[in-house]
Parts: sequence; structure tokens; C-alpha cells
Amino acid sequence: MTVIDPRIHQVLDGELAPEAVPAELRRTVAQLAAAADLLAALPPGATASLESRVMAAIRRPAPSRARRVLRWLVTPHAIILRVRPAWSVAFAAVVAALTLFTAGPEGPELAEHEGIAQFVGRFPEAQSVHAVGTFNDWRSGSIALEDQDHDGVWRATVVLPTGTYEYMFVVDGERWVPDHLAERLVADDFGRENSIVIVRPAGR
Amino acid sequence: MDVRGAPSDAEVVALVLAGDTEAFGFVIRRYEAGLLRFATRMLGSRDAAADAVAESFVRAYRHLASCREPARLRTWLYRIVTNRCKSHLVRRSVADVSLDDAPPVADPADTEAALERADQLLLVKRALAELSPDKREAFVLKHVEGLSYEEMAAVTGERIPTLKMRVHRAREALLKVLEDHA
Repeated sequence: MTVIDPRIHQVLDGELAPEAVPAELRRTVAQLAAAADLLAALPPGATASLESRVMAAIRRPAPSRARRVLRWLVTPHAIILRVRPAWSVAFAAVVAALTLFTAGPEGPELAEHEGIAQFVGRFPEAQSVHAVGTFNDWRSGSIALEDQDHDGVWRATVVLPTGTYEYMFVVDGERWVPDHLAERLVADDFGRENSIVIVRPAGR
Repeated sequence: MDVRGAPSDAEVVALVLAGDTEAFGFVIRRYEAGLLRFATRMLGSRDAAADAVAESFVRAYRHLASCREPARLRTWLYRIVTNRCKSHLVRRSVADVSLDDAPPVADPADTEAALERADQLLLVKRALAELSPDKREAFVLKHVEGLSYEEMAAVTGERIPTLKMRVHRAREALLKVLEDHA
């Protein structure tokens, strides 16, 4: 490693005027500045515009309503039933019988590479909460959490391909907040934190 | 609006967030050259750089609402591209850094000065490729992109003394290569 006279760094950092250093040091300053100039000039054709490529990706329409409905129909959803205590024993027996006779020995119909992810967050003042992340290309809208009993706790249960995903909650369509109860958090590209959810194969 | 009539970054961000998708074209046209140059010097490959910058623009568009200081959009974009480049480099060893924008085979019509300049560029790029990604990033942000240390701190999340030290080490490594080949 060549040790540089500190005054050269000072000149290059704008802390010292070039005239304040001896001529031989100015030559080294010029040598390094020339190297940087070479790097700053890309050869012709190196900067072909990305505009059309990027704008095409941005303009790509969101899935149609029919497609969203189809996706909703094929995606398992949690269904909560409220039953009077008097009926609960009979209802449980019926559910158990249906489960025994209709479900195979493998349990719920999940593919081998799928698992269940649960998203839960407490947002008492929120009007809407969505989970966005690497599982839905950070597009808001596809996974809506629900607060059915209006206690401020929003929930969603979805089936996702197994894997590790980064995600955040989007509250009221504009506020992005990490889920601090997530399995872990990682720094994202924007200097903040994303939550991590690991979706494991069902039944394991 | 600046004196030439082009909207400011803050105005463009406001337009896009209000639903004017096409206004994002201003952002691309304004910053792609610098971002592509930075990514090319970081990754040593024009194709990889174009992918990294294009992905970064798409991410920036989708997360534009989370840009807290639209007036400092440039710094925010560099931060996204910097992280894209780091992710790319993690998947690839430094030895793989290509020199695919190396000068073409000598053409008889080229002047001696142009050939010398091309040789010098190849030398500088090799020296740059041998630096650690952190030092390379610091040197390119400082001397190729012309960012201040304050802006570099905002882009990288590092402290200014750390960045200064990296730039100084990068200069020393670069100078050694230049002197060895003088």
C-alpha cells in the first residue's frame, strides 16, 4: 500500500487549496483526479436509456377483477363460525364427522411446497391494513388483514409457497410499518427494517 | 419548478403519488446516467448494472410513498442502487468482476493518445475491481459521482470518518497500481 501524504487527501477532499501544497504533491493529485475522470466517462452506448423498460414494468396492469376473484376462490381462507353453547357439542360432532369422512389421511389440501402464514398486527385506529412483501412483489392490496371484532387487532391467514419472505404492513394505504413481532427483522434497501416470515411445509 | 421549467424532484414525487405514473419518466431521465455509471463501476458489467438500476427504479416507484424527503430523491435512489449492487456482489466473488466495457481491439484509425487512454482506463478499472466493495463504493461515490461525504453517509448509512478512511485507502491502492505501471 502506498502511503499518501495527508495533504493530498486534504486537497482531494476540498479541505486544502491545491496551491497550498508543493508541485510534486499536486502532480499526484492530478494523477488521481485523471483516474477518476477516466472512470466517470463511460464509453458510447454504455448508457442506453432504461426508461422504456422501467416504464413498461411500472405500467403493467394489476391483475383483472376476474383474475383476483379466481385467485380468491383458489386460495384457502380462514372461516370463523360463532355457535351458541347449546349447539356447540352437536356442531363439533358434525364437523368431526365431516372431517373424518371427507378429509384424507394427509389433512388439509395443501401442496407439498405450500404452508400457512399468519399475519397479526395491532392497529387500533386503522381503516385498512395490508401485508406486502416479497411474496406479492411488494404490491399493496392482495393480502388484506381483517379486524372482524373491532378490537384493533388485524389478522390474515394465507397459503404461500414455502420459503422465507420479507414483508411490512401498509396501514391505511400509506403508512409502512414493520411487524415487530415477526420471527426476525432485517435492514432493507431504504435504511429501515423489514420483517421476516418463514413459511414451512404444512404439518411439519 | 426550476429556472428551465423542469419540475423539481419534490414536484415530480408529488405528481407520481397523485397518480401521474408517466411523471416517473422525469426521475429516470434525470438520474439514470449517473446511476448506471455508478453501478457499472461497482459491478464491472454494463448488463448487470442495467439490471440493477432498472430493478432499483421499479422498487423506487413502488415505494415512493416511503421516500421521506422527496427533495433528496437523488440520495435515496443512490441508496437503493447501492444496496442492489451489494446484493449482486454477494452472489458473485470479486474475481468475477468482468471488464466487459474494456476498450475494443485496436483500430488502426485510433490515435496513439486514444489507445493510451484506453490502456490507462483498463488499468484503473483493474485496480478498482481489486478493491473491497466497501472501498470501491466509497471511491466511486466520492470521485466518480461527486457526492459530498454527508451525501455518502446518507447513501451508505456509514459514519463520515469511516467513509473518509475508505476513500483514503482506495486512493492509496489506486496510486500504487498507477505508479507500478508508470
